[in-house]
Amino acid sequence: MMELLLKLLNDAAFSAVPAVGFAMVFNVPRRFLPYCALAGALGHSLRTLLLHFGMPIEWCTFAAAALVGVLTIGFAKKHLAPPLMYAVAAIIPMIPGTYAYNTVIALVQLSAQSEVSPELTAEVISNGLKTIFILGALSVGLAMPSLLYFRTRPVI
Amino acid sequence: MYADTQNDITRQVVRVAQLLLAYGAESDLVEEISQRLGKALGLASVEISISSNSLVLTSLVHGRCITTTRRIREHGINMTVICELQRICLLTEKGIYGLNEVRKRVSRIQPKSYPKRYLVPMIGFSCGSFCHLFGGDTMAVLITILAASVGMSVRLAIAKHHFNLLVNFAVTAFITTLVAQMGYHLQLTDTPKLPMAASVLMLVPGFPMINAISDMVKGHLNVGISRWGHATLLTVSSVIGITIAMQLGGLFL
Repeated sequence: MMELLLKLLNDAAFSAVPAVGFAMVFNVPRRFLPYCALAGALGHSLRTLLLHFGMPIEWCTFAAAALVGVLTIGFAKKHLAPPLMYAVAAIIPMIPGTYAYNTVIALVQLSAQSEVSPELTAEVISNGLKTIFILGALSVGLAMPSLLYFRTRPVI
Repeated sequence: MYADTQNDITRQVVRVAQLLLAYGAESDLVEEISQRLGKALGLASVEISISSNSLVLTSLVHGRCITTTRRIREHGINMTVICELQRICLLTEKGIYGLNEVRKRVSRIQPKSYPKRYLVPMIGFSCGSFCHLFGGDTMAVLITILAASVGMSVRLAIAKHHFNLLVNFAVTAFITTLVAQMGYHLQLTDTPKLPMAASVLMLVPGFPMINAISDMVKGHLNVGISRWGHATLLTVSSVIGITIAMQLGGLFL
């Protein structure tokens, strides 16, 4: 139990840093940076918690993105700023970067060889599918509040 | 309402929509803000059609239509501008701003960005955190921080000279991977693969991808597909950079 808690804290701390870093690349105003960090940390640690209970990564990501979506709508209402401003920075730590990286590296290796090897093909397909489904889960999860609650009225 | 007033209002509304698109807002937000702003300034209705690099806007009042087209040039993502425009729209809706204030505020918008001395270390630490989250050891994290910081300063330096974004991504990926390969060649770390994967994560076009999917989900299919295509092109060009660097370092083949 203690171990899990430490793992979650570690997770929250180290996903808050990229959330702020990328928020700065997207030029989010300085007063909103702490909220990006908070949303990023909560989202990523929820995903780690669900992964710990053995859920598949796509569903974990979906739930975490939905949490980020709800949180950022709260922030947006408070500050009168577009919710996507917080949300995109907050979900950056959950972007399937390694899966995407492995997919394209395997693709390049595959094209460099003169024959089709089953191992590389399998790696391209499995990593590529994971990438696409995680990305889809992220953005549909983020859009969840506006798909379910804010159907006909604007968020702010 | 006189014709020249309608002209004036339409110009401000289309300027706002153009700025929103140029600085990376999703299509739904652009449509919503321009319609609300137009109605708040006294137009009966605002219809907007967005394509990948231009927008067409028609305003209607007292049975008189004005249609105008604007070309959109991408300026990179700047949330400060979008936040400011959203605020202008809300304040106009509440009746605090009239047409003159809107014009003044919109013309005063400057796309400010964070200075290099904050951005470079922050991106270094961000990629270092990715490496840590993937399970890299301390040396791997340090290599990642170094590689990502070098890569980010290269990226900003190239962006300053207005090179094509695809060229920028390829060169940045090349240099970042060259630095990140250090772990393999100097035998500093037990997890030499992780710095290479983590340090190029700063090039993942996260914002265009999320915008693309959320556009498509909300029914702006053509804009979504074009944004998706742009994100894919960016990824492919960084892969080209990574591949060249890895082949120079003799890591595969």
